[in-house]
Amino acid sequence: MKVALAQIRPVLGNIRENFLMHIDYIQRAKKKKADLLVFPELSLTGYTLMDMVEEVALQPHTDPIFKKFKALSQDLSFIVGFVEEREKGLFLNSAAFFSQNKILHIHRKVYLPTYGMFEEMKFFGQGRNFTTFLTPFGKAGMMVCYDFLHLGSNYLLFVGGSELIIVISAAPGRGLSDQETYASSRMWELMGESISHFTQTFVIYCNRVGYEDGKSFAGGSFIFNPGGQLIARSPYVDEDFLVKEIDLEDIRKFRKKRPYRRDDKPEVICEALKRVIENYED
Amino acid sequence: MKINPDFVERLIVRFIKEEFSKLNFETGILGLSGGLDSSVCAFLSVKALGPKNIIGLIMPYKNTFSKDVKDAENIASHLGISSRVIDISPMVDAYYVNYPTKSKILKGNKMARERMSILYDVSARERALILGTSNKTELLLGYGTIHGDMACAINPLGDLYKTQIRQLARHLKIPDKIVKKKPTAGLWSGQTDEGELGLTYTKIDRILYQLVDLKKMKNEVTSSGFPKQDVEKIIKLIKGSEFKRKMPPIPKISHRTVGHDFLYPFDRSK
Repeated sequence: MKVALAQIRPVLGNIRENFLMHIDYIQRAKKKKADLLVFPELSLTGYTLMDMVEEVALQPHTDPIFKKFKALSQDLSFIVGFVEEREKGLFLNSAAFFSQNKILHIHRKVYLPTYGMFEEMKFFGQGRNFTTFLTPFGKAGMMVCYDFLHLGSNYLLFVGGSELIIVISAAPGRGLSDQETYASSRMWELMGESISHFTQTFVIYCNRVGYEDGKSFAGGSFIFNPGGQLIARSPYVDEDFLVKEIDLEDIRKFRKKRPYRRDDKPEVICEALKRVIENYED
Repeated sequence: MKINPDFVERLIVRFIKEEFSKLNFETGILGLSGGLDSSVCAFLSVKALGPKNIIGLIMPYKNTFSKDVKDAENIASHLGISSRVIDISPMVDAYYVNYPTKSKILKGNKMARERMSILYDVSARERALILGTSNKTELLLGYGTIHGDMACAINPLGDLYKTQIRQLARHLKIPDKIVKKKPTAGLWSGQTDEGELGLTYTKIDRILYQLVDLKKMKNEVTSSGFPKQDVEKIIKLIKGSEFKRKMPPIPKISHRTVGHDFLYPFDRSK
């Protein structure tokens, strides 16, 4: 299958302009005969929304933009990042998977970074689940940015039988060295390498670029194969449209070599977790 | 503390380009002192916007820094940007005729604010956006005049320590004379930053890096070999200058208050 990553620079708070940008990339992906197109976190709205969250929120099942997206997803699946008004006044940082004229799945960001430069919990409610769903390309699981930097979330998608882990991100770059990249970009790649190796899934990570209030989104979107090997990466910092053919047979190949999935023991983990939780001291 | 100057150049040039496009400005303006920071800022701005879109203002007080004026003019002509020399002494002196002072600091601050006032006036006449030239070292130590040289629309060098800017300057092939020049705020003749602060920038930046970037506690920094009095001096300067890095506090009495919970990004609808 062919995967396309749109490493774009959304316009902050301007849904109309971002919608047109999405349409443009959807058409480009179709021309390239891609099967799956991934946009970054909050691709429809921009990231640093603060009190603008409620102005750009939409309801996925009734919104006219999403109706158009559904109509465009007959021969191309794609993932869009948006602000979801899940209930009246409850806003979530969400990712929707469009395919076959439907929304196949919506993932709501669970881990909302609220430290240092991040203040997401101030403006968003949190999702409560990591689950896999069936796509035309096998079972997949989605995450939004900081979700991916937690072992538990990755484990849940692994246990759920995921063959593709798709992460949409708005990760600002930080940390300078003598390397021609941010230190934080290396952290994401390290995670991509480890998770793809230990879950034996394709890890598809789409980050954005551009500045918002001085924050510099680092780009460097990537795809790791189920053997922990980097097979494609977009440039850091610059806008990019990456299209890469991946071979889903690789999943079988690597799982035959090292049977991590066969030998996994979710019951043991679950029981042990319960004991840990029961024995919390406070 | 090492940087990859190629990468940093790319980041800052992109930042300047993006900000100008978001704010819908084509022309940038900055004060040129003939020193390192404003020269580096001018070089990067030219890379981002082109020489025709940059205005350099050289604003000496009397002829106290004639060599620096010459250096600033050379930078401007080297870059092919338009520059103007505006002597600030008539305005500054006019004030002190009625309100004389012997304080160098007061006079220095007045000069810095006079330059700011001229920069904003010319920026409005030329529909230009002001590029700030404060570096991370100055911002952290509060080594600048509030509403003076710290005033600007965007501040491209604000996350680079002085010594990192020097590294960047070499990469940009800025004349050695400028790179090696003793840094001075130009508040009075013979002043140097390092003389006034009592520490070299190399020392200051290393300590700041430990305290700020690595978030180390005072005793961790001193036990890794930095003299206690130097570390304490730097911490004192950081603590004492918070007001220069913040909007002034507003007493919160309504439901929604500017600066408290009326929260929008700078880049709102750009």
